[in-house]
Amino acid sequence: MQLIVNILVLAAIYALISCGYVLVYRVSRVLNLAHGELMMLGGYMLIVTAATISSNPIAAIAGALVLSLMVGGLVYVFLMRKMTGEMVLAAVLATVALGILLRGLVILFWSAQIQYPAQTLALSNPTLNLPGGASISFYSAMLIVATVVVYSTLFAFLRFGSWGIRMRAAGQSPLLAAQRGINLHGVYALAWGLSTLTGSLAGILIALDSGLSQTIVMIGLKAFPAALVGGLDSLVGALAGSLIVAAAEVLMIHYVDPLLADVVPFLVLIGMLVVRPWGLFGTREALDRV
Amino acid sequence: MNSDTMLTVDKLEVVYKRAITAVQGISLSVARGQIVAVIGTNGAGKSTTLRAISGFIGIDDARVTDGSVTFKGQRIDNRPPHTIARLGIALVPEREKVFPNLSIAENLAAPVAARASRSERRRREELVYHFFPRLAELRARIGGLLSGGERQMLAIGSALVCHPELLLIDELSLGLAPVVVEGLMERLVQIRRELDITILLVEQSASVALAISDYGYVLENGRVVLDGDAARLKDHPEIKEFYLGQARAGDRRSYAEIKQYRRSRRWYG
Ligand SMILES: Nc1ncnc2c1ncn2[C@@H]1O[C@H](COP(=O)(O)OP(=O)(O)OP(=O)(O)O)[C@@H](O)[C@H]1O
Ligand SMILES: [Mg+2]
Repeated sequence: MQLIVNILVLAAIYALISCGYVLVYRVSRVLNLAHGELMMLGGYMLIVTAATISSNPIAAIAGALVLSLMVGGLVYVFLMRKMTGEMVLAAVLATVALGILLRGLVILFWSAQIQYPAQTLALSNPTLNLPGGASISFYSAMLIVATVVVYSTLFAFLRFGSWGIRMRAAGQSPLLAAQRGINLHGVYALAWGLSTLTGSLAGILIALDSGLSQTIVMIGLKAFPAALVGGLDSLVGALAGSLIVAAAEVLMIHYVDPLLADVVPFLVLIGMLVVRPWGLFGTREALDRV
Repeated sequence: MNSDTMLTVDKLEVVYKRAITAVQGISLSVARGQIVAVIGTNGAGKSTTLRAISGFIGIDDARVTDGSVTFKGQRIDNRPPHTIARLGIALVPEREKVFPNLSIAENLAAPVAARASRSERRRREELVYHFFPRLAELRARIGGLLSGGERQMLAIGSALVCHPELLLIDELSLGLAPVVVEGLMERLVQIRRELDITILLVEQSASVALAISDYGYVLENGRVVLDGDAARLKDHPEIKEFYLGQARAGDRRSYAEIKQYRRSRRWYG
């Protein structure tokens, strides 16, 4: 039972992070390899807002999320926008550089020391007991709730929202989208903003749950195989991929060796690439364009 | 060029990839309410001209390097496509004309209209289904699964949702059966009548285009080689000979060659 809970929590973390990879990839065909760092930045945003805006946790978290949305949009406007129309490789490399830069900045401002924003905000993290003898920490439970809320909202937005439909349209044919009056830069900035927002939400909850340091970038990196296993351009795929990767990882830790934890997602990824290079739910042609 | 001119293209020059000049000094004008045809063979620069009017994006790597495009008194050359679309010019492109993984209904919901009140928007979408009842039957089907004719209907429909004053159509007849083309052409005439829209029509098949047009231009090698009232063009001997396939001489040559040939014949008596 505890095993299932652990799998669900880890899957929720990966899913919440990997939808950011999917959003950006789906509209602009760019792999955002700085997503892990942007997620970490979300955690540090919380430290900033807790210190400056308000010590009320809700207000601090909301402030951090708004900041993340803006950071994502600004990353597009000031960095990725120049890359539009350039080779995809150039754009991907730009995200790699951005990631390294962000890590450097975080060390510069906050040192490599582990931080506990939960303490700053005077929040406790009670353990909830579940039927069947399992237990879950409060913020782990919140991670699952957040994942459910974020995915339902994204599904509804992309399916029924006018700008959601336009984001999908721009992903399928940027030229036709522009010819139909859709401002591509606006759509891309929105995708980056939403992607960073959801990533930050994950970063914030992880930071509240277990503290914040550079190491959480690794979690972001492990969510990437989850997104890719699902096909990278599909939200359903990201959910399924996250579940698969999380299950493999938790079972491996439990039955084989905890030291393998960080390797498992990439093993799953390699296995997947050999069998179905376009992922579980991805479109086959999507991968040619990378 | 009178005050009722909607679009003026003046000595337009378009260069691809900073090296390939595809259009070299085309001038044409479109009066409000008219249907104007641009005809020419493969590679004449027809699509490039329409794309220059409707705007290039970064990946096209194309630029208007000389001349101008003026829409209702406003210069629009080298502006991004979405601003041009919102000014009231909608293009039905030659390729990539619908979003392949969006349903018909979503294809019609995606465009950002020039004038977009919510009720107006709904009226426009209903109007598309009125012009093309076939699309209403297939609302939930995705664009990529449509037949060529249905896809063309959807392309025209999604352009109409943009609320254009000027509709640019690139090769309506491409890959379609003659009876389908005829139906679409009739629909265009109806659309112009009911919506008071101006249409610039690019076609390889001259007979089809000139049949519904008021005025026509003939393009070759990136230049306008002939223009005139559609009725007069239809009877023009050289158009007849080359574009309408009513050749007198057995072999087909380019229009320029024929002209050259005539001229030389005249020269040598
Ligand atoms: N993206 C591009 N890059 C480079 N050259 C191009 C590009 N698109 C078109 N051209 C060139 O510009 C010229 C005009 O092409 P254009 O597509 O405008 O012709 P067209 O009259 O529409 O022909 P068709 O009837 O075959 O559609 C051609 O010589 C073509 O090779
Ligand atoms: Mg063409």
